[in-house]
Amino acid sequence: MSRDKTLKRPKMAREGIWGRFCYFSERAFLNIRQNILVNVLTVATIAIAFLILSLFLLLYVNLERVTENWSDRVQVAAYFDRELTKDEIASLTGKIRKIEGTSDVVYVSREEALKRFSSRLKGQEALLDGVTPAILPSSLEIHLKKAFRNSDSVSSYVSSLRKIPELTEVQYGEEWVKRFSDFMSLLRLAGTLVGGFLVLAVVFIVANTIKLTIFSRKDELELMGLVGASRFFIKAPFLIEGVIQGFSGVCLALLILTGVYALFLHNSDMLSSFNTAVSGLVFLPSPYLAILLACGAMLGFLGSLASLKRFISI
Amino acid sequence: MIQLHNVHMSYQRDASALSGVTTKISKGEFVFLTGVSGAGKSTLMKLLYAALRPTSGQIIVDGVNITKLPSSQIPHLRRKVGVVFQDFKLLPNRTVLENVAITLEVLGWSRKDINKRVYHLLKQVGLEHKINSTPLRLSGGEQQRVAMARALVNEPKIILADEPTGNLDETSKDQAMDILKEANIRGSTVVVATHDRRLIESCHKRIIALDKGRIVEDADVS
Repeated sequence: MSRDKTLKRPKMAREGIWGRFCYFSERAFLNIRQNILVNVLTVATIAIAFLILSLFLLLYVNLERVTENWSDRVQVAAYFDRELTKDEIASLTGKIRKIEGTSDVVYVSREEALKRFSSRLKGQEALLDGVTPAILPSSLEIHLKKAFRNSDSVSSYVSSLRKIPELTEVQYGEEWVKRFSDFMSLLRLAGTLVGGFLVLAVVFIVANTIKLTIFSRKDELELMGLVGASRFFIKAPFLIEGVIQGFSGVCLALLILTGVYALFLHNSDMLSSFNTAVSGLVFLPSPYLAILLACGAMLGFLGSLASLKRFISI
Repeated sequence: MIQLHNVHMSYQRDASALSGVTTKISKGEFVFLTGVSGAGKSTLMKLLYAALRPTSGQIIVDGVNITKLPSSQIPHLRRKVGVVFQDFKLLPNRTVLENVAITLEVLGWSRKDINKRVYHLLKQVGLEHKINSTPLRLSGGEQQRVAMARALVNEPKIILADEPTGNLDETSKDQAMDILKEANIRGSTVVVATHDRRLIESCHKRIIALDKGRIVEDADVS
């Protein structure tokens, strides 16, 4: 029997880019099945790492929500010493709206001011006997844009406001705004530090777990090279495996997080002591979920890529 | 088919593993590479499938100077060379079929053709009934035959066998040698590294003897 007759080259399995991708994906799933224990351990480790990160994100998102609610209280009140006409109010409101940082301007008449005052004194209305709207000043309530709700921006905003001659007095709770601003800076710094360390820990754990998975199969990598596989042919299924491991790990983490949220956190009143306007925790918004899933897949891919470099000698 | 010109090979700081090796192996030849442990047999074999690069000298395999071969071209060389390793290098979590099929998967064969070809070859080496077993369930001799099937399955131009009969009983040794002789008859050039004198004497083939990295004997006793 001659060599050529026996080994007439059969047609290639799945030609083209899509065909090769399907082949490598099949190979990756087969590899996972053949090394099921190692893969289950890898996915579980990635899931635990990402669960910690997503719990932190959940907490962070909810704290942001609380502080955003607090920041709504950052507003400026401008008083006049006389009652303005409708045209004057409209022109003044227009002027103020033109100042950078203005979100909304609401006119509070003397009558409205008295109404608000009496609603605050519910049960002790007798104190207001004899009080007429005339003794209260009319004012403008100015709400600021989110980016301007910090100490420096508010005081610079108020300086611009004081340049308007019609406004007799401008008040903004300077001390409260300063404290709130400092608290937000501290919260952001702590969030960045803790979040940064957590991300580093997750990267470290995922990369090393995948490295161990690949190390446990270094004989396979070596053999593939010895029977004539190209570097890409060896790498491709491992890279797909890495993506599957990372993605599955994050999916598992998010499933656990959803379960924990539904069982314990959904109606939790842990935040209501900080802010009564906020009841229960909100779940991670979908962009966060998408980013976490993409990060898992990306980390799996990069972890595999870095490890393969070490173990493929051709 | 294989030419070596003044090949030197030394590992870091150690004495030369090979020095001044020059020889030529023609197409279709069956050659024994012999010598005591440490003579340089395995180093020479590794040089032939580019697992190592020589310190100096030229190695030409199937018309290609592999000392100057870029890394990206090494897989092409290895597809022409079937290697039988002393430690078999079988993957324990894959079946016999999958272990042998690796060589053809690398070449991009379709699953159907792979199954047909692997079954045919396993039948030749008498292991078709073990096609779905994993290597751990096989005897040493059977594992060696699987390793040989993997090296032969794409009918390579060159077969390199490094101590293929080490640790095997007499019957398994004979079976292994028969498989290599059969491959040689079909046209493959076969190089067998062994220190088993009985095996060499029983085969009556060309012998290249190495000692301390030098060729000390090159005799054709066929």
